[in-house]
Amino acid sequence: MVGIDILKKIHFLQDLSDDILEKIGGIAQLETFDEEAILVRQDQKLHLIYMLVTGKIFSNCRSASGKALTLDELSPGQTFGVSALMGDSLATFTAICAEECTVITLSSDQMIQLFEQDFKLGYVVMQQVVELFKSKMNKHTRQFLHSLATHPAMGEIQKDPI
Amino acid sequence: MVKIEDLKRINMLRKVPDHLLAILSQEAQLSIYGVNTQLFTVGDPIDIYYMLIMGQVALKVALNPDVDVILDNLQSGQSFGSSALLKGSKASYAAVCLEPCEVITLYGPRMIELFETHPELAYYMMVGVAGQYKKTMDVRARMIIKTLDMHPELNHRIDDIEQLTPAY
Repeated sequence: MVGIDILKKIHFLQDLSDDILEKIGGIAQLETFDEEAILVRQDQKLHLIYMLVTGKIFSNCRSASGKALTLDELSPGQTFGVSALMGDSLATFTAICAEECTVITLSSDQMIQLFEQDFKLGYVVMQQVVELFKSKMNKHTRQFLHSLATHPAMGEIQKDPI
Repeated sequence: MVKIEDLKRINMLRKVPDHLLAILSQEAQLSIYGVNTQLFTVGDPIDIYYMLIMGQVALKVALNPDVDVILDNLQSGQSFGSSALLKGSKASYAAVCLEPCEVITLYGPRMIELFETHPELAYYMMVGVAGQYKKTMDVRARMIIKTLDMHPELNHRIDDIEQLTPAY
């Protein structure tokens, strides 16, 4: 069980009401992981949602050619593994503790069970998931368009209209 | 009104139980759009959620006055305009029919009203929309990883890589 005061440190949960946080807190665990502990392995099924309270986590991935790419440095307040709520989800990244970390973990099965007992709660949390995914997608798109607009080949297209 | 059988052809409704599909079938409309119909454009307030039964729809944005970028070509079974199911969202792309299209539509404000009285329906719809986003994000994440693998120097040019990573 995790108290509301700790849950409120997590950005993903900050807009949720105390009633909802109390229910989520009831199935949440607060765990400490050592440096170099692997929380999520790429290509393995996700069962837990992770919320970083203290410490630092690196997410990286291995490409098809076997190269390891460091993608991200997760800081306190950030959440990862939300796609565990989608079921049958394989992780597209590996998450490793860069230092000792305190992490809230939520079992996706228990979360889904909670949602199906209280659809109103399920709606509010899934709406939050949709907003999170939507904002990531919009950022992907903006970055993609920015890369295209600044690509040298764009100048060639404009000089040489078909 | 739309038949439940037609709703079952929509990917994002696959997990929705029949008693909820029955509610949706009362609210849904079946519309036919001609080729080149622009359903909405960038910046439009979105109040319709679209589910494609037949045809093809391009989602695009103008990069500059001369170049349009196609973000996705949607086929039957796919949906778009999910902003209509969230309050106060505007379109971040334009949607244009590439061929004659048969589309099931849901009126967003009415759906948001229904979500208040039918939280089970609201929950399943959000699960469906989140699943769609995840599929698209997975495809994009694979593309980003493949590109970074082939051109590691790009890693340093992406100023907000923490926002692009697949750690969602």
